[in-house]
Amino acid sequence: MSKKLFPVISILLIVAFALAACTPKPTEVKNVTITIWHQWDGKYLEAIQQAFADYTAAHPNVTIDLSKPEDVANALNVAIPAGEGPDIIGWANDKIGEQALKGNIVALNDYGITQDFLTSTYEPAGVNGVVWSGKIWALPESQEGIALIYNKAIVTDEYLPTDPMNFDDLYAKAEKFQEDTGNVLVCNQAFGGSDAYHMSPIFFGFGVPSYIDETGKANLNTPEAIAAAEWLLKFKDVSLAENSYDICFAALKEGKVGMWWTGPWAVAGIEESGIDYGILPFGRPFVGIKTLMMTKNAVDRGNQDVVIDIMKYFTGAEVQKKLSLINKTIPAATEALLDPEVQALPAVAGFGAALNLGVPMSPSPYSSAQWDPVGKATQAIWQGAATPADAMAAAQTAAEEAVAQMK
Amino acid sequence: MSVWSGRRRALTVLLFLLPTIIAVLIFNIYPTILNIYTSFTTRNKYKPNPDCSVALSGVLDPLCWPVFRDTAPVGLGEPYRIADPPFKNYTDLLGKLFAPPALISLGKMLVCLVPLIIANAVNKRFAKEVTPPLASGWVWLMAIISVVILGFVLDFFAALATLMETGDFLVVVLRTVMFVAIRVPLTFLVGLILALILNSQHLPGRTFFRVVLFIPWGASAVAILIALVWQFFFRDQGVINQLLLAVFNYKGPVWLNSPVWATVVIVLADIWFSYPFFMVSILGALQSVPNELYEAADVDGASPWQQLMGITLPLIRPAIVPALVLTSITAFQMFGTAFAITAGGPQLGADKPGATEYVMVYAYRQIYQVSNYGRATAFAVLIFIMLFLATLYSLRITKITKGAR
Repeated sequence: MSKKLFPVISILLIVAFALAACTPKPTEVKNVTITIWHQWDGKYLEAIQQAFADYTAAHPNVTIDLSKPEDVANALNVAIPAGEGPDIIGWANDKIGEQALKGNIVALNDYGITQDFLTSTYEPAGVNGVVWSGKIWALPESQEGIALIYNKAIVTDEYLPTDPMNFDDLYAKAEKFQEDTGNVLVCNQAFGGSDAYHMSPIFFGFGVPSYIDETGKANLNTPEAIAAAEWLLKFKDVSLAENSYDICFAALKEGKVGMWWTGPWAVAGIEESGIDYGILPFGRPFVGIKTLMMTKNAVDRGNQDVVIDIMKYFTGAEVQKKLSLINKTIPAATEALLDPEVQALPAVAGFGAALNLGVPMSPSPYSSAQWDPVGKATQAIWQGAATPADAMAAAQTAAEEAVAQMK
Repeated sequence: MSVWSGRRRALTVLLFLLPTIIAVLIFNIYPTILNIYTSFTTRNKYKPNPDCSVALSGVLDPLCWPVFRDTAPVGLGEPYRIADPPFKNYTDLLGKLFAPPALISLGKMLVCLVPLIIANAVNKRFAKEVTPPLASGWVWLMAIISVVILGFVLDFFAALATLMETGDFLVVVLRTVMFVAIRVPLTFLVGLILALILNSQHLPGRTFFRVVLFIPWGASAVAILIALVWQFFFRDQGVINQLLLAVFNYKGPVWLNSPVWATVVIVLADIWFSYPFFMVSILGALQSVPNELYEAADVDGASPWQQLMGITLPLIRPAIVPALVLTSITAFQMFGTAFAITAGGPQLGADKPGATEYVMVYAYRQIYQVSNYGRATAFAVLIFIMLFLATLYSLRITKITKGAR
């Protein structure tokens, strides 16, 4: 090859490279993996997995990794500072305050979620459940609270309390049911257990406004709370000595109890077992909001836009309607909740009535101080270790001490 | 042969030791120091993050280290600080232990135990004499009678109740000590009896029984799961109550709701898990006892009981004592069985630890359920001091490390 050609070829190559550099690159889609730590279980999870599979099918560059760590709170404490945490946490709204104090989750106001969007998309209870300290910390997925799910085959109308606030009536009905059938009318996993959540319809039904309010004031030794505790002790005579989720479910299936005081999460299992059930609101249950929160790690990784998109998708009306029809959950998205098909679900109607009576769970960090004292006190009352008044006084002291630690 | 200069030699030695020193610093010393520091702070779930401008936090808390500093979460919560007063976590735990009423109670309880100390001293002195004026059994009997009388006079149980009111620490520790005191001797007894049976030459199928009886030890690797089976036995509608109803037509109690029965169930389950350890240790030791001794004893007309007390036990003592110490330590650290069966319950009220909330269960609850890191670490420091003293004392008694220099 002639040496003269070298400069020409070199120039041509340089021009070619330069042009190649100038041509706009085809927009390269960045592949992202979004990790979600959640609390969904069993049958519930199947439909949810499908919803996320639909999302990844429509967004091939996004991979969604669902996992359910054993102990989320402690796992987060280690994972977030190491940059190994999830992008999204699916959790109940009472965890918001604690996680915000710690800095594990970020406020969504900075990432395009506005109060207007929130109020126009979700139910008021859902909106209130995710706003704390003037900021939006999560998007609400569904609402839940507990009600009496009864076996229509053995609990006839005469045993159904007519007024959801008449606890004496419930006791009388339970007593009569036991006399007539030899079985127990109501099973509740909080009876004998350390479980303030499942005790909530009773305490709030007796007029306790909240275990601990937004300002950190505990209401545990009020006359109403003591009356509720005394009723609990009385109700022990017409209950099983031991109650738990599994015991209640098994007893309901075997016809050994008439009613199970539980939430929407139990409905799928009950339907599968073929029980003809009805749902009766009773007392004033805690209204918990299941939410999706965005972690600090998601922002550190630059995933915030995808994360917000997934959160909006999953909590939106379309997905929540589908989930509601399969899982019998009560959507927080207004459009999904008002959908005629959803409204026609007996579970939604029944639990919806219970939620309307309920007390919203507060996202304030004080919320986390309520579970231990109330749970321990009710267990001590049930097991006869303390009188209702003494147990509630001790619970008040313990709750005040827990709140004082925060201040 | 070259003679090393002092400095070079020291450097070489240091280089050889360095990996170990670094490992000890990282895995033993640093966590201990961080734990002690945390026990003087207000760290809990509401004040989770460090204030890195505080010198000690800046050095000790990993969240302040350059590696994590950028990714460390900064929440709305206040950072934790040194408690005010610094000993607050300790005073919360030990409560009124150092107030006059508690000290008086403690004094009374110690006075009740004085006759035992005297009896021990007297016996030691008599042992040196050729013909002791009084048999040691009598001395102990007198001492025990004196203890009972003193206990009544000084009202031992009232004093104990006063002490139990002083705060979580003593309640939890005393309950754990009680658990150890019941569980270890019983396990030893079961292990000893089974070992003696299995050691018998006349037992057909010895190997089979040795394997079968050893199974619980294997199961203790998954103690929490198997403990759930025990819980299932003792539930209100569990196997035991169903059997009681079917066979004796007797409605059994709700075992796990009663503080006493719940403790009994845990003790039973834990004995089941741990007797094979004693059984095998004793069985091994029994092999080393020469048969001639028993033959000689037989010739002398010694009864089996006398042979057991005079030959077997003294000769297997060197094997048993370390086993006893080890088992006591593991029993003190009881967690899996108790947590799986009762989770520390039954609860006695919001301001008290549960009836089976032993040391480890209490620590677990403080960290994982209440997230009160300050108090939990203070608790750990107190337990450490206590166990350290107990271990030193037991080393003196057992002389396990004698010869290891």
